[in-house]
Order: sequence, then structure tokens, then C-alpha cells
Amino acid sequence: MSDLLLTRGLQYAGYVVEAILCLLLIWQGRWRRLRVLCLYVAALFLLDGVARSASLSFFGQRSPQYYYFYWVTDVALALGAFLLVCGFFYRAFAKDEKRWSFVRLLLPSVFVIVLGVSALSITRNYANLYTVFIIEFSQNLYFSCLVLNTLLYVMIQQLEIQDDELGLLVCGLGVQFAGEAAGLALVHVTLGQAFSQILFGLLNPVCTLGMLFIWMYAIGKSPQAVAAGRRLGKGAALQEAVVTR
Amino acid sequence: MAALILMISTGLFFFYLQVLCQKILRRQFAQEFSQSIVNANRLEFPSVRKAIEELGTSMEYPRLALTLKCDFLALTYLLKNAANVNQKYSYEERLLIVYFKVVFAAMFSRHLLKLREAPAALKLTAILEYFANVVGERVNTVRFGNLTASDYLLNL
Repeated sequence: MSDLLLTRGLQYAGYVVEAILCLLLIWQGRWRRLRVLCLYVAALFLLDGVARSASLSFFGQRSPQYYYFYWVTDVALALGAFLLVCGFFYRAFAKDEKRWSFVRLLLPSVFVIVLGVSALSITRNYANLYTVFIIEFSQNLYFSCLVLNTLLYVMIQQLEIQDDELGLLVCGLGVQFAGEAAGLALVHVTLGQAFSQILFGLLNPVCTLGMLFIWMYAIGKSPQAVAAGRRLGKGAALQEAVVTR
Repeated sequence: MAALILMISTGLFFFYLQVLCQKILRRQFAQEFSQSIVNANRLEFPSVRKAIEELGTSMEYPRLALTLKCDFLALTYLLKNAANVNQKYSYEERLLIVYFKVVFAAMFSRHLLKLREAPAALKLTAILEYFANVVGERVNTVRFGNLTASDYLLNL
């Protein structure tokens, strides 16, 4: 009971932080520069925070309607995460035509492979085609996002791309994907034992909160100093950053 | 397959947390604030770092651990109480305190396994230097606020 309360508390804290981050992006005008991120956070808030909660209270936890709705929104969020990773790749390599042409080929290829591998899972279970495919597809897509995100981070380090904000955004996404993948794998390894399910239930909102806080830190920190630096010069920008801390 | 994914994703989870800590530590300060704090409090971590960087060796483990631990306690006390109106750690500081403890435990386990402790000790000195810079920066801000040194003197 207490773990359920804790999980719910963390989930609702996550919804609040999602809404705050969304407002922060709009209020400070950062959504123009971080459009994909803003759309993803908005989708996270609307689908995970609003629509799922509404569906839960309307249909109930054990209803098939809620079950289907949950997994459909999960696929939508997985697709959103994949697009967000694509957006980060674009930001990192948009100015490098040669590498961007390679990445432009890589990303759709990964998507097609994930789709193909997930379609194979249908052959193992004809009884429940729709849900088996959806669950498999969303889990595979999340894991491929984790791999792509790590690949992006390694490339940023190797090519010495000086973009601290992007580095932190990638880092936040990595914490979310890695934590979620680890939790899900633990459930599979322990064959769904109670403690692993409780851990997974807690780990998921904690990782989401971690990601949102890292993004807030990334958005709140670097551009402020850059903007101030343009107005007042480097020394003044640093002084201002010190004062506003 | 699930066990492999569990290992990879757990590793990546901690890797990303470490990356985050390193990104925070890479913050550029307006000037070298740490030196005055080191001198005023007779902290020893710069000499530990110098010994590792220049000579490639550090002091014997018990002394090294004690030195770094004492500096950590002094600096975390200052972080909370020196020129800090709220008397609370910020989120970054909390994360770095946890990171320090994890790296310290890693250094201890390296010592037990008879591996080199120097890389972990260098990471610890980097964290301590960051803390000293934050304390120094705060003290500097409280002394002068938005004023330059000459403005401050004119307003006396």
C-alpha cells in the first residue's frame, strides 16, 4: 500500500514538473529553439498526465479499454521519444552535411529494423496480435532510442561538439531510457516477482523526474549566460549568473 | 537476453549520472575562487592533486583517505553555512555530495583490490575544487553584491 502511495506521489510530482517545464519553455520563449523538446514534453504531459488519468478514472484499472488506451499512448510516446532523438541528432549534425547524410540514412533504417523485429513477435502469438505487437514494438523502440542516444553522446564527445545544453539534454534522456530499460529487464529476469514490480513501479517515475530536472537544469542554466554574454560581455554575464544563482 | 539488457542499461544509467556530474563540475567560474578558501581553511586537496599529477604517486592510502575526507567535511560545512542565506544545499551540490561518496567508496574498493587509487583520488579533488569555488564565489558575491570593489568602497 505504501509503495503504491509513493509511486502515485512520484507520478503526480512528475506531471507537475512536466507542466512547469512546458510553461517554462513557452514563458521564456525557448520553445522556438527547442521545438521538438517542447512538443515531446507537452505530449508527455497531455498523454501520460491528463489522458491516461482521465481514462483510468473513466474506465477503471482492470478494464480492457484502459489497457488498450495505455499501450496505444505508450506507442505514441515511444514514437515521440524516437523523434526527439532524431531532433537531437539534427541539432548536433545539421551543419555537417557529410555526417548528417549518414545519420539521415541511419535513423529510418533503425526504425524499419525495429518495426520488422517487432512484427516477427506476432508469429509467436497469433491469439493476441494487436497487443503483442504494440507492447513489443514500444519496448524495442525505447531500447533502440537508448542505443541511439548513447551513440549520439559518444559522437558528440568524439567530434568535440561544443554544445553543453545538448549534452545535458541527451544525458537527461539517457537517464530516463536506461532506468526504464533496466527496470523492465529486471522484471523479465526475475519472472515478474513482486519486489521487481514494486521496484519498476518506483524506478519509472523517479527516472522521469530525473530526466525533467536535468532538462530544467540544462534549459535554465546555459542560455541565460549566453544571452547575457551577448548583451553585456563575458565578464558581466558571469557576474550576472553569479548574482542570479 | 533480458539479463544482458539489464546489465547494459544499468551500466548506461550510472554512466549518464556520472556524465551529469562531470558536466556540473566543468562549470566555468568567473575567476579562481578556490585558492582563497583553500588558504583560509588550510585544505590539503591541492597538494594531493599536485603529488598525483606531477609525481604520479599519492601518499599512503590511510593518509590520503583521511585528507580527502576532512576536506570534504570542511567544504560541505562551508557550503551549507558560509554566505548561504537558506542554509541548504542546492540540487547540484546534493548530487555532487552523493557522487563524492560513491567515488570515495570506489577508491576504497580499488585499495582493497590493490589497484591504483590515483584516478579516483583525482576525481575527488576535482569535486572538492568545485565546492571550494562555489564557497569562494558565494563569499565574494555577499561581500560586493552587484557592486564593483570601488563602488563598494565609495558607499562605505
